[in-house]
Amino acid sequence: MAAAELSPDNGTGADRTGQDPTPAVGADQDRVPAVILSHVHVTYRVFGAGRGKTVPEESRLARLLNRGANQVGVREVHAVKDVSFVAYQGESVGLIGRNGSGKSTLLRALAGLIPPDQGEIYLNGKAALLGVNAVLMRQLSGARNVMIGGQALGLSTHEVREKFDEIVDFSGIGEFINLPMSSYSSGMGSRLRFAISTAAVPDILVVDEALGTGDAEFRKKANDRINKIRESAGTVFMVSHNNATIKRMCTRALWLEQGHVIMDGPSGEVVDAYTRWVEQQQAARAKAQQAKRAQPRATEDPDEPGGDGQDEAGAQGGGR
Amino acid sequence: MTTGGPDHQGSLPGLSAQEAAALARRHGLDQVGVRPPLGRYCADLWRHRNFIWTMAQAGFISRHQNNYLGLVWSVLNPLLLGAAYFLIFGLLLGTRGQVDNFVAFLTAGLFTFIFISAGFNYASRALVDNTGLVRALRFPRAILPIAVMITELIATIPAFVMLLILAMATGEEPSLKWLLFPVSLLITGLVTLGIGLIAARIVHAARDVSNLVPLLTRMLRYISGIFFPIADFASGWIGAVLMYQPIAVCLTMVRESLLGEFPLNPTTWLVSLGWGLVLTAIGFVFFWRAEASYGRG
Repeated sequence: MAAAELSPDNGTGADRTGQDPTPAVGADQDRVPAVILSHVHVTYRVFGAGRGKTVPEESRLARLLNRGANQVGVREVHAVKDVSFVAYQGESVGLIGRNGSGKSTLLRALAGLIPPDQGEIYLNGKAALLGVNAVLMRQLSGARNVMIGGQALGLSTHEVREKFDEIVDFSGIGEFINLPMSSYSSGMGSRLRFAISTAAVPDILVVDEALGTGDAEFRKKANDRINKIRESAGTVFMVSHNNATIKRMCTRALWLEQGHVIMDGPSGEVVDAYTRWVEQQQAARAKAQQAKRAQPRATEDPDEPGGDGQDEAGAQGGGR
Repeated sequence: MTTGGPDHQGSLPGLSAQEAAALARRHGLDQVGVRPPLGRYCADLWRHRNFIWTMAQAGFISRHQNNYLGLVWSVLNPLLLGAAYFLIFGLLLGTRGQVDNFVAFLTAGLFTFIFISAGFNYASRALVDNTGLVRALRFPRAILPIAVMITELIATIPAFVMLLILAMATGEEPSLKWLLFPVSLLITGLVTLGIGLIAARIVHAARDVSNLVPLLTRMLRYISGIFFPIADFASGWIGAVLMYQPIAVCLTMVRESLLGEFPLNPTTWLVSLGWGLVLTAIGFVFFWRAEASYGRG
């Protein structure tokens, strides 16, 4: 029954247990932390982006072997900056923020897939990540990818075979399971990945934009499954640009802006603050454009700092 | 409990490194994104043994599904190359030295070398080619080059069967020592895995190096005595170095297992096995040391 007590919204739970309500500092003694981040910075390399930094003078050999080598055509993107938080078992945490704010990179880092440059990440158990970009082997059939994904998540060959029908059934892709994944629609691909990632009931499930695709029926099934994971003391992280999804499925939300976590709290409050802020930004931008149009010699479109999709290329590129 | 807001500058404060470590210890959390100890890494590798096999199969299938003749090419290619080499080196330039059965000598060396160079090439790109997988799933990354080598070993079996047929067709008598032929291939595979593991880490850190890999394999092709017997063309310490460098000694070992005119020589086998074990051990540790950095770029 611990699960029910462990899965309140952040605020009410802290009040009820009478603890000092400081989830950001993680002083709760009762709740078991699932993920601890302490001052995490993540940088990833993008190839073919031109030289981003000047190369420091090092010996050639050191440069050749240096893992963070500043090579020609490589740019380093500092996607996550100084992020610290503690997430507890039974929580489901939504990450919100504009495109390019570092959400996907943070998810990958806390799943242990991209090592942080600085800071520490601790996990309680095994993390499974699924996302739009989580390409398995596209040229291989769905069935073979089920085996690859399942075994990488720690299932034995036998266990994967046992769960195979359930996975295919859940994903609802039917006959397509024997065709290469490159022939799948994006919805089919993400449904299959979701089914694979959750077949093993992970301790920590990391969902990157995957639930936006799929019909209402699948969304409901996915919702149920996420709740089940939380009830069995699992922790769920998700990125979604659909604010209603975050409000409905998450107990807590983190707002990222340019790699920083700038707000942390119950999902309702954070999402509302974020929505208000985005509206303000849009209003301000509309005003600025009106003012520009009023001037006869408008030269060119401004670089919209608040534009959705502006930084998408960078964020997605880093995910590959 | 809400902290921060739209106007917050920088990140919200959190646990210090010490506090985080203490909290993690109290509840038994593991740090991720760091290199595991070598022992745990090996144990993890063993636990994933089925996964290695699955990946090897997957690599095999994805390599052969895009052309109709599929596996036939893995026999046809070395055969055609062997024919060309025979014309140039055997007939035109006359590099056969003291060798009687030059066709078997040439094909045994060439087919083995093709196995080595293909394995080395694929293994060196194992991390870079699978970035998507590395960023989607957590597993010991050494699985990738190891699986590639297993794929290569399986993919080359038809070519090696062809080699046996060629050897018999050119007058070699099948004998008990042919049983050592698979053993020699396994040792050759170990040598290749060792250099492949080293190359995989270097290519991941500095991708430009992957352009050097074909050059390196070409140089090895010319100095490893594929189409000429080293002993007949080089002597003294240069000859010894050329003969006992890891690739050349592997070719000699394969020939000793198949050809009647090359009797089994314990030195060849011990040196090859030594290279195989030492290079694989060095390569594995070298690869493991950068485990925490794979996936970043």
